[in-house]
Amino acid sequence: MSEFIETKGLKKIYHVGGQKVEALKGVDLEIAKGDFVVFMGHSGSGKTTLVSTIGGLTRPTEGTVLIEGNDIWKLNDKQLSHFRNRKIGFMFQSFSLLPTLNVLNNVVMPAIFSTNSERKDTEALKSKAISLLTDLDMKRKVNSFPSELSGGEQRRVAIARALINDPEIILADEPTGELDIRTEREVIDIFCQINKTYQKTLIVVSHSLTWLEKAKTIIVMKDGLIFKDLADPVEAIMEGVCKS
Amino acid sequence: MKIMKLAMFELLRRPKKNLVIASSIVIAVALLTSLSIVSNSANLAIMEIIAKTGHTLTVRPSASSAGSSGEEQKQEYKLTTSEVVLGSYIPEAAVPEIMKNYEKAIKAGWEKKGGLVSTPGIPDIVLEPATWAPRLFEKAEVDGQEVIVTGIEIRKEYFVRFWWNLTSGDWPAETDVRDVNTNIASIFTIGSDGKVGIDKAEYGVDSSGKLIAAQDKKVKAAPLKPILKGWDDAYLGGAYAKSKGLKLGDKLTINKTEFTVRGILEETNSADDYMVYIPMSTAQRLFHKEGLVSMVSVRAMCPNCPVGDAMVELNKNVTGITAVSQLDVAGVQFDFFSMLYKFLLAVVISTIAVGIFSIFNIVTGSLYARIREIGMLKAIGASRFQLFRIFIYEHFILGLAAGIGGYVLGLGMAYVLNSLLDIGAVILITTAFLWRALALGIVCSLVAIIYPAYKLSKLKITETFRTQWES
Repeated sequence: MSEFIETKGLKKIYHVGGQKVEALKGVDLEIAKGDFVVFMGHSGSGKTTLVSTIGGLTRPTEGTVLIEGNDIWKLNDKQLSHFRNRKIGFMFQSFSLLPTLNVLNNVVMPAIFSTNSERKDTEALKSKAISLLTDLDMKRKVNSFPSELSGGEQRRVAIARALINDPEIILADEPTGELDIRTEREVIDIFCQINKTYQKTLIVVSHSLTWLEKAKTIIVMKDGLIFKDLADPVEAIMEGVCKS
Repeated sequence: MKIMKLAMFELLRRPKKNLVIASSIVIAVALLTSLSIVSNSANLAIMEIIAKTGHTLTVRPSASSAGSSGEEQKQEYKLTTSEVVLGSYIPEAAVPEIMKNYEKAIKAGWEKKGGLVSTPGIPDIVLEPATWAPRLFEKAEVDGQEVIVTGIEIRKEYFVRFWWNLTSGDWPAETDVRDVNTNIASIFTIGSDGKVGIDKAEYGVDSSGKLIAAQDKKVKAAPLKPILKGWDDAYLGGAYAKSKGLKLGDKLTINKTEFTVRGILEETNSADDYMVYIPMSTAQRLFHKEGLVSMVSVRAMCPNCPVGDAMVELNKNVTGITAVSQLDVAGVQFDFFSMLYKFLLAVVISTIAVGIFSIFNIVTGSLYARIREIGMLKAIGASRFQLFRIFIYEHFILGLAAGIGGYVLGLGMAYVLNSLLDIGAVILITTAFLWRALALGIVCSLVAIIYPAYKLSKLKITETFRTQWES
């Protein structure tokens, strides 16, 4: 696996109620292409901030984020939007799907913001969306609306949407949050399949230990830094949580 | 799917809220549309009257003359071509004096303008004399119903009111006696049954159309044409003929005297449409108003004639009459409509401003409710400009729909306003009003959205996802 994502001295300071909160305290990190990374840690440990900084969503106070050697935070708004659209497929825990659009339109939505002319080909795009939805066992629901779907089905649609622009990185924040264990396992299996079949680099933020069985790399965050001692990840996570 | 389609879906997602926003715009557009239509129609109506009448002067008995009421006095300043003056008269004998004063004033007016000044070696311009068309208005029972019967000298009247057309029948020939007014009253007789009659044997017209009596020596020299042809002719206003179902050749009885319908006028949307016209000489005899007329219309036969000067001079020098220049009245009405329009426009603009402010508040609240969705769109690659475009498209469609709604409502309101303000104009609708309504709807909608849309499109994604991304 070659080096793909790199952060150097990444710091993020939030100003909350007149007080400085240091969410990231100089994180150095390397993620290889095709890796399946799960960020774990207690709430407030900085995992979401780190991932959103890598995804071009949160500007760091200090440090660099290099994707294929390019510092994404030197891009302007338009370039950064283009980068997010082209390179990253996002999945969120909630507020993910637009309720007015059916499944098919939700999946193709990222393409309407794309500057790539191939992605403007409506028919090709629809075929691709249906193919993805078929892979995710959602073909029968292409015309359904989000309100008509179960939690697991909504996640599958969100995964299909994350893949529509064929990004190299899939970035998911709590993709299995609020799901029952059976559905959670199904979603995790899908992620594994995406990592294997589509060769995507997966970066997942989760509190769930179920991911430990499938992830290639586990990164535990504690107080804005990466917890280095990962001899026993579960113990490390528990330690991080208990000591916080 | 395109950004426009996405905007459309988003618009339909909040029907109630958007309906509230749209209704504010609809009201603003409707107000402005109706006001513009009514104002435009009223101005066009005035212009049409001016175009029809040219530089026309109306001479009527003054307000201080017998029979004038306050209402009639008020009417003096109302621009109309068919003003009815009942119970007040101008003696025909006074008309030559009025004409003399008029011509003198016109000449002086031209000289004041720098025209008609004699220059040695250059022949003086000879002005065509004005046409003077008298009218005598009387209320009478026509076939049991009260109607305004108007005595006119038909050819002169037709000349002054050149916009008159007949839907059926003919105008009298040039030499018909009905145009010869002088002393004609004396040839009528009233029988013991009260009917007006005429002794055809004793009167006629010569080859020049001049009335002569049988005992006149000229009668022997020149054979008489058919005597007093058409003394019992009647011409009907279009609306009156329609309401009574009268046709050409039908008979109608006015004060026991039978008349024959010789012509039916095209409707002109004026009081003319409801009158019955008979020859002036017959009317004077029939109503015992020999030597009297109710008013005289004067058509100045020159473009840009100083009719206003003539009006001033006549009112100053001739007692018992009031002269009104239609052009001057038009000016007063123009000023009135202009003032009314400006006032209402100020009210409408205030309404629009208040409307935009309330739309702004609703829209701001509505957009901030979508803040997480906006964050999600940004995260999946929507640029600031693309997000801005979504909001703009949404409100463009909303404004367009509201503009159409406002236009339709405005049309209805224009008819109501026209009636309520007693403007009486024929409502004229052009596509320009539709374009303006659409433009106003879109502008109102966009003005309200631009600032919140700009602010939201500039929000950082983490601000939109604060609870999710900053855990």
